[in-house]
Amino acid sequence: MSIIKLLTSSVGRKILMAITGLLLSFFMAFHLFGNLFLFVGEAAFNGYVEKLHKLGFLIRIAEFFLVLFVFSHAYSGILLWIKNRKAKKVVSSYSKENTPGAAKYAAFSGSIVFIFLATHWSTFWYKFNFDLRGMSYYYVVTESQVGFGSPLVSIFYIIAIALLGYHLKHGITSAGQTLGIIGTKYEKTYNNIAAIFWFWIPLGFISIPVWFGFLVRII
Amino acid sequence: MNINLKIWRQKSDHQDGGLRSYRLENIDPNISFLEMLDILNIKLVKEKKDPVAFDHDCREGICGSCGFMINGRPHGPQKATTVCQLHMRAFNNEDNILLEPFRAESFPVIKDLSVDRKAFDRIISSGGYVAVDTGDALEANSIPIAKEDADEAFLSSACIGCGACVAACKNSSAMLFTAAKVSHLALLPQGEKEGKERVVNMVATMDEEGFGACTNTGACSAECPKEIGQTNIARLNREFIKSKI
Repeated sequence: MSIIKLLTSSVGRKILMAITGLLLSFFMAFHLFGNLFLFVGEAAFNGYVEKLHKLGFLIRIAEFFLVLFVFSHAYSGILLWIKNRKAKKVVSSYSKENTPGAAKYAAFSGSIVFIFLATHWSTFWYKFNFDLRGMSYYYVVTESQVGFGSPLVSIFYIIAIALLGYHLKHGITSAGQTLGIIGTKYEKTYNNIAAIFWFWIPLGFISIPVWFGFLVRII
Repeated sequence: MNINLKIWRQKSDHQDGGLRSYRLENIDPNISFLEMLDILNIKLVKEKKDPVAFDHDCREGICGSCGFMINGRPHGPQKATTVCQLHMRAFNNEDNILLEPFRAESFPVIKDLSVDRKAFDRIISSGGYVAVDTGDALEANSIPIAKEDADEAFLSSACIGCGACVAACKNSSAMLFTAAKVSHLALLPQGEKEGKERVVNMVATMDEEGFGACTNTGACSAECPKEIGQTNIARLNREFIKSKI
C-alpha cells in the first residue's frame, strides 16, 4: 500500500495526528523553556531571543515545519470529524453523557487554540520579527498592548492555554493509544510524561500573564 | 410487575419511524427481556397488529444476533450482558423502558429494532481469517503457544460481533470489533503470517463501509457485552504501524 493510501485511511490519519501533535507538544516544551527567561530578567530574555534570531534560516525552516504540523494536524482532524459525523445517525443520550469532556470538546478546544495561534503569530511573532520599532523583546511581551500590558490579551491568553491543556489531556493519552503504547509495559511511564505536557507545561505558560499581566502590577 | 414500553417502530430504512407506547401488566420478573417481547408480540398478533421485529437466535449470549438500545444503552443497563441474558428483574415495577435500534449509518434499519449488520461480515471477509495451511488437529498441539498469548487471544476472540460497540460510539466507529479480530489472530502464530495484509485490508474495508474513526473515548469497551478491552485497539494500531515498517 502506498504512503498516500496509508495516510488517507482513518487509522493512518490518526497516526499522522498523533505524531504531529506530539511533535508540537515537544516544541511547546521548548517554547516554555525560552519564555521562562522572562522571570530571570530583561537582559536574559532579550539575549535569548537574540540568540535564536542569530540562527537565521534554521529558525525559518523550523517555523515552516511547525506551521506544516499545525495545518496537517488540523486538516486530518477536520476530515475525521466530518467522517465521524457522517457515520452517526443519532448519538444516544447515554453515550453523550458519558463521553469524557476532554474527548467530547477536543475539536472545539482545538479550534480555539487555532484562533489563538493565529493571533499569536500576528502579534508576538510579527512584532518580534518585523515590527519591533525600537522596543525590547521583553517590553513587547510584558508592557505593550499586544502583550500583557493589555488585560484583555492576558485573559484571552490564559483561557486559550487552559483550553490547550484540556485539548492535550485528551490528545496525548489518545496519541498513546493510536501509536499502540497503551497496553504495553511503557503505558505507565507514558501517562506520567503525558501529565507533564497537559498539566504542568500549560501551567508554566499561564504563570507568565498571571505574573506580568496582573500580579506584578498589584504588588 | 407492570412496565411501560416505548418502542421504535419503522417499516424499513426508506420510511420514517417513530416511537410507539405499549403497556404490559403482570410480567414475571424472572423471564428474560426477549421473552417479555415475545409476550408483547403474541398480544399484538392476537390484536391483529404488526409484531415488533427484533433479532435473536441462541438466547444464550453467545451468537451475537440480539441487540438493541434499552434506555439509550446497547444491550441495556446490566454490565457484560447481552439483551437475551438480561432479565426483567433488572427493572422495577412501573418502569418506563425505551427501546431503539442500534443506530449507525452503516447499520441500516431492516425493521423496527432489527438492523442490517452485514457491514461487519464484509470487514471479516476482507481479512478476519487464516488462509494459510496450518495443518490438521495434530499441529494445533505441536505448535507451542505461550499461556499469556493464548489467554489474550481468547479474550479477543470472545467478540460475538453484535455491534454494540458501534452503537455505543459517538462516531459509530467499528474499531473495537475490527481490533478484536486483528488482535485475536495477531496473537497466534497461525494468524501472524498474514498479519500485515489483514490489518491494512480490514481497516480499509471498515473505512469503506462508512464507519467513523476512533476517538479513544472507550464507550465501546464500557458497553461491550463480552468486555473486549481498549488494549485491542492499541494492538490494531501497533499492527497497522508495524505493517508499514
